[in-house]
Amino acid sequence: MYIIVVGGGKVGYYLTLALLGEGHEVLVLEKDAKRCELIAEQLGSVCVRGDGCEARTLADVGTERADMFIAVTDEDEDNLVACQVAKHKFKVPRTIARINNPKNEALFKKLGIDVTVSSTNLILEHIEEEVPTHPLVHLLTLRGGALEIVEVRIPSNSSVVGKRMKEIVFPPESVICLMIGGRGAQVPTGDTILEAEAQVIAVTRPEAEGALRAALTE
Amino acid sequence: MNVVIMGCGRVGAQLAALLDEGGHKVAVLDTEPYSFRRLPSSFNGTALLGDGTDEDSLKKVGIEEADAFVAVTQGDNRNVMAAQIAKHVFNVPKVVCRIYDPLREELYHTLGLETISPTTIGAQMLRDKVIG
Amino acid sequence: MIYSKLLVPVRGRKVDDDIVKSACVLARRAKGVVYIVHVIQVSRTLPLDAEVTPETRSGEDMLANAEKIADVMDCQAETEILQAREVGPAIVDEAVERGVDMIIMGLDYKKRFGEFDMGDTVPYVLRNAPCRVLLWRGPMEGEEE
Repeated sequence: MYIIVVGGGKVGYYLTLALLGEGHEVLVLEKDAKRCELIAEQLGSVCVRGDGCEARTLADVGTERADMFIAVTDEDEDNLVACQVAKHKFKVPRTIARINNPKNEALFKKLGIDVTVSSTNLILEHIEEEVPTHPLVHLLTLRGGALEIVEVRIPSNSSVVGKRMKEIVFPPESVICLMIGGRGAQVPTGDTILEAEAQVIAVTRPEAEGALRAALTE
Repeated sequence: MNVVIMGCGRVGAQLAALLDEGGHKVAVLDTEPYSFRRLPSSFNGTALLGDGTDEDSLKKVGIEEADAFVAVTQGDNRNVMAAQIAKHVFNVPKVVCRIYDPLREELYHTLGLETISPTTIGAQMLRDKVIG
Repeated sequence: MIYSKLLVPVRGRKVDDDIVKSACVLARRAKGVVYIVHVIQVSRTLPLDAEVTPETRSGEDMLANAEKIADVMDCQAETEILQAREVGPAIVDEAVERGVDMIIMGLDYKKRFGEFDMGDTVPYVLRNAPCRVLLWRGPMEGEEE
C-alpha cells in the first residue's frame, strides 16, 4: 500500500518506521526542515518538507494514488483539514486522524474522517486496566448502559476476605459471576470463600457500582 | 441579529465594532486576552476568553442562540474546524469562514462552507488598482 | 594514489564528458573500472518502479555517450540506470554497494535567484559519501573554451 503520514513528530516517526517494516511504501510530510533531515537520515528517502493541508503539496506527493492517509500532528484542526483535503480532493479511500482532545472524536466522525485515534483515551483505558489502585474496572457496558460488567480486585485488608459469598450483602441487581483467585477461575456459589487479591467479575447497574465496590473492598 | 465572532484580530475587532454600531448583539471569542484591546471602548457586546474549536467555549459564548458565526483567526485550519462545528453541530444558520489559502478556500467552498479568501480578493483589488 | 573503482553520475549536462574522461584517466592507471550511472528521479505521483520511458530513453543516450568516451580512452566501463525518489541518497547507496574508491561529481555553474547555487545533490553526496569525492565545477558562462 502507499500510505501518506502527515506530521513527522514522535508519533509520525515511529508510525512510519513500523509501516516501512511491514513493507508499505510510506511518505512523511513534515513542515520543519530539521525534523525532515533527521527522518531522511534515519529512514531514507521517505520524507518531503511541506504542509500536509496544502492541496498543491499533496498533489506533488501523489496523494491521488495513496491507499491510506494518516494525519498525526499535535494540532487537531490540522489533522482534520489534512484528512478532509485528502478525502474530498484526492479521494483517498481511508483517512485516519489523530485526536489530541478526546472531545473531538464525535465531531471528526461526523465530518467524514474514517477513523480517529485518541492517544488520551488510549492512555486512560490503559490506566483503568493497569493501575492496581483503581479497584473497579469497566469491562463492558450492556444494552444501552442499563447493565455493565465490571472487575473488582479484593484488597487484602478488605473485611470480606475469608467470608462466604452468602454472608455478604450486595446491592440489588448485582451478581458475582466469576472469581479468579489462587485456585484459578471459579463460578462462585453461596459457600465460596472470598480470597484476598482475587479478581471478581460482576454484573451490576451503573448506579449500584459504588455500593458494589464498597461491599467488596471496604 | 445575534452574531458570534471567533478571533479578535484587526478584522474580527472591526467587524465586531461595525455590527455593534448597527445594533446587533455581538459576542467575540479569542484565546488571547490582549487581543481584546482592539475593541473600541464604546463596544457593547461580549468579549470572552476561549477557544472556538472547543464546543464548550462556543456554548459559553452563546453559539446555540446565534444567527451567524464568523471565523477570522490567523489559522486557516482553526477557522475551518470552528466553522464546521458551528454549521454541523450547532446548526447556526449563517456561517462565514476566512481562509487565506486560495486552494483550501476553493475546496471548503465546494464542501458547502461560505468562505472568503482575502488573498484572492486582495490580489484582484490590487491588480485592478495597478491596471485600472 | 591508485583508484581502481570510480563512480561517475551523469545527468546530460556539459560537464558529463569532462568527468567521464577524468574518471577514465584515473581508472586506467590502476586497470580499474568506471561505473557510470544515471539516476532518474521518479515523481511521488508514480510508484518507484514505474516505467518512465522518455526519461529512460534520454538516460540511455547519456550512458551510450559516456560509454563511447570510455571506449575511446580504452577504459573499462559499466553503465546503469537507477530509479530513485532522491538523487543524492541513490548515488551514495550505489557508491557503498559497489565499494568504490571515489565518486566524481559534475556541477554546472548555475545561479538561482541571483546567487550561485549547487542544488541538493552535490551537498548531500559531499556530506554523506563514505569514499573520496571529487567535484568538477564547470566554467562560468562566457569562460567556455
